[in-house]
Amino acid sequence: MKRRSFLIAAGLCGCARDRRPRLNVYNWSNYAAPNTIPRFEAEHGIRVRYGTYESNEEMLAKVMTGNSGWDIVFPTHSRLLAMLENKLLARLRHEWLPNLVHLDARFRSPTWDPDLSWCVPYMWNATGIIYDRSIVPAPASWADLWNERFRGRMTMLDDPEDVLGACLEKLRLPFSATDAGDLRRAALEARRQKPLLRAYLNAEVRDQLVAGDVLVAQLWSTTAQQAIDAAPRLNFAYPSEGFPVYMDNAVILRESRRLETAHRFLNYLLRPEVSAEIADFTRTATANGAARALLPAAIRENPLLYPPADIFARAVWPQPLSVDTQRLRDRLWTEIKAS
Amino acid sequence: MRRWLAVYAALAFAFLHLPLAILALFSFNRSRFTVWEGFSLRWYQAAWRDPQLAEAAGNSIAIALAATVIATLAGTACAYGLWKRGSRLLTAGLYLSLVTPEIVTGISLLALFQWTFRWLDWRLGMHTVILAHVAFSLAYVVIVVSARLRTISPTLEEAAMDLGATEWQAFVHATLPALAPGILAAALLVLTLSFDDYVITSMVAGVDSETLPMVIYALARRGSSPVINAVSAIMVVFFGSLILLSERLAARGAR
Amino acid sequence: MSRLRPWFLAPAWAWWAVLFAAPLLIVAAYSLLTRGAYGGLSRPWTFENYVRVADPLYLAILGRSIVMALAATALCVLLGFPLALFISRSGRRKNLYLQLVLLPFWTSFLVRLYAWLFLLRDTGLVNTFLRSAGLIREPLPLLYNNGAVLLGLVYGYLPFLVLPVYATLERMDPALVEAAADLGAGPWASLFRVVLPLAAPGIGAGAALVFIPCLGAYLTPDLLGGGRTVMIGNLVQNQFTTARDWPFGSAVSVALMAIVIALLALLWRKAKNPL
Repeated sequence: MKRRSFLIAAGLCGCARDRRPRLNVYNWSNYAAPNTIPRFEAEHGIRVRYGTYESNEEMLAKVMTGNSGWDIVFPTHSRLLAMLENKLLARLRHEWLPNLVHLDARFRSPTWDPDLSWCVPYMWNATGIIYDRSIVPAPASWADLWNERFRGRMTMLDDPEDVLGACLEKLRLPFSATDAGDLRRAALEARRQKPLLRAYLNAEVRDQLVAGDVLVAQLWSTTAQQAIDAAPRLNFAYPSEGFPVYMDNAVILRESRRLETAHRFLNYLLRPEVSAEIADFTRTATANGAARALLPAAIRENPLLYPPADIFARAVWPQPLSVDTQRLRDRLWTEIKAS
Repeated sequence: MRRWLAVYAALAFAFLHLPLAILALFSFNRSRFTVWEGFSLRWYQAAWRDPQLAEAAGNSIAIALAATVIATLAGTACAYGLWKRGSRLLTAGLYLSLVTPEIVTGISLLALFQWTFRWLDWRLGMHTVILAHVAFSLAYVVIVVSARLRTISPTLEEAAMDLGATEWQAFVHATLPALAPGILAAALLVLTLSFDDYVITSMVAGVDSETLPMVIYALARRGSSPVINAVSAIMVVFFGSLILLSERLAARGAR
Repeated sequence: MSRLRPWFLAPAWAWWAVLFAAPLLIVAAYSLLTRGAYGGLSRPWTFENYVRVADPLYLAILGRSIVMALAATALCVLLGFPLALFISRSGRRKNLYLQLVLLPFWTSFLVRLYAWLFLLRDTGLVNTFLRSAGLIREPLPLLYNNGAVLLGLVYGYLPFLVLPVYATLERMDPALVEAAADLGAGPWASLFRVVLPLAAPGIGAGAALVFIPCLGAYLTPDLLGGGRTVMIGNLVQNQFTTARDWPFGSAVSVALMAIVIALLALLWRKAKNPL
């Protein structure tokens, strides 16, 4: 065992070896406050290795092997079914998670996991339109993004789900459409839009928005909030046709050998003050109702992070897709990008 | 013509170094954006204090050193063996490994590790990254050392053996000294390739083996952070001085 | 005849078997499987993935990638040869200049790409400079197009051409140029009729070392191209991450390698024949 012998050798070197029990947590970047992990380590005497990733695919590529070394990861809800089918998740034991009661009532019994046997909802965000206030009239729907006046100053996300979804919603078709005809029409819309776009960018567009290079962008609510914090002349709109909302959930991997410790960490994350601290620092929307109550009013009632009920009614939770739909979408995305 | 060449070379060097110079310049910018807002060392402080960066840097160095040693030894031995008598199969394999796109090398190695880990209770980690780096850099070593070997006449070793040396002694005392600059060049090349690699490393890295390029990529994906500027400036200065130092030593040795 | 040789070649053979052949065989095997229900692999064994690769959409992507890689290679040769020539004629400062060429390599490849993003953006340095100099009024769209990708590729792989060409030029006997001068050839004539032909093997090696990575590049087109273009490297990377269609990605990889091998074999044959 190369790893063990390396560790032994290092230990023999006399280097101070950390004897505390370990926990390996793999999370999205910018999803924890600076004090979150140290406080847990101090309280429970456990050493946490905290790694970050930028996309579900990055995380899944590692985790799919079943031998990645991580104990806890944070997949988006639409990926949970895939992980379940591939037997990657450990069943949660609620007797070890008393803090589950603090979850927001809306997320206690989510459609992707009604009993919460596999996941604990963590933070959520939505996709919408961020724009410069100098634009009058302000964009308010996906259809507005096909407007000629934005040529060269507009970006969309580099994500097939978000882009095709926006096109589908523009056409008043379901976000998780599986019909080939629907998807083709959506792809056609995307190709019509492409000449108007500057680029397909994800979080990188934030700096360009703040600098003023880009005037309008399809962007996630969290990143948008960060941009607005830096440049108050920016504003965010939830499109009138509807918009996708994503929940990132904490799960324990089946390969983990530290189930009890992992549960302790999840329980810790569910504590209202811990969750509030994270939500405050990272400007994300927390699924923890008790935590949200602890937040300062300015954030708690922020309509960008926590859209009011009438807007939230337009939200759509993306569904996991079948093989054929996935393949068609992927091919359409390649066509769009290659056009 | 010499003048034109010199002018052109100056322009070419400017082209190569200007982006980095600008990056280094703006690493001293107080603001995180392109607008100059005053001189500040805050990004260097942030980089210094960042434990993730420090650990990643340490990992990168450890991996680069290990991979360099293994690849240089194995590659030099291979080049020497092939110099004595070629092997079409081996040479074809070496060239093919050069031809394989990085992403394909990365996923093929990941697939290999996945398979092996079914029987061995291993995980992805430092050792898989080192193996991956050796995998893609061996061919480079063989090429560089082979190029050097072509300038060495085989009669040198034959003469040594005629004088009573064993094959091994002939290699060590006759060929190896002449080969040394080529081996050094190859080692430097592997060090560079390993330290700079992102694609393959990101595929086979494990829990404890995050490297500097991976951290930089993550930082950059979230929007440009001047911490990247600071880190790159540090890297250029550090390795620049290393190279200059090796230059001085080599020059002194030659005298 | 040599007793040492098997020992010397042993580590390389181990590399060949474990780190080269086995992984590629696995990829080839994957290319014949089918994508599982949610990513991953499953039977049946099929050639379907290769049939999919033959689709005009993917062939067009491959074609475009080849053209882009050729353009980048040509630019590297044009820009890199004079530089290598200069260095080879610099006497004592040769090694210093060589290291200067390599120095940018010591920062991360990604950092160098981001440096260009920094420079080429609408509010980046180039545009700011041009605007403050009054040369343009609106910012030039320097980024997120094929030109930017080409620039990034040339910038990243220029040293790969300079090094082999320099190595060849350095070994060239200076007496040959002197002889040409004695026979009345001017500096330009001797360049084209003596130096260039002798440097040809170095240029060929350098061109190959540039062409191949450019063909499989995906970070540069992704970052500098703004995700607007799909090159074959992006396609493969996409299959192994977002689309989670490993079998199809493997098939594309195998097809790509087959083409590159064919190209190289052709060049090899041509290079050997004149001799």
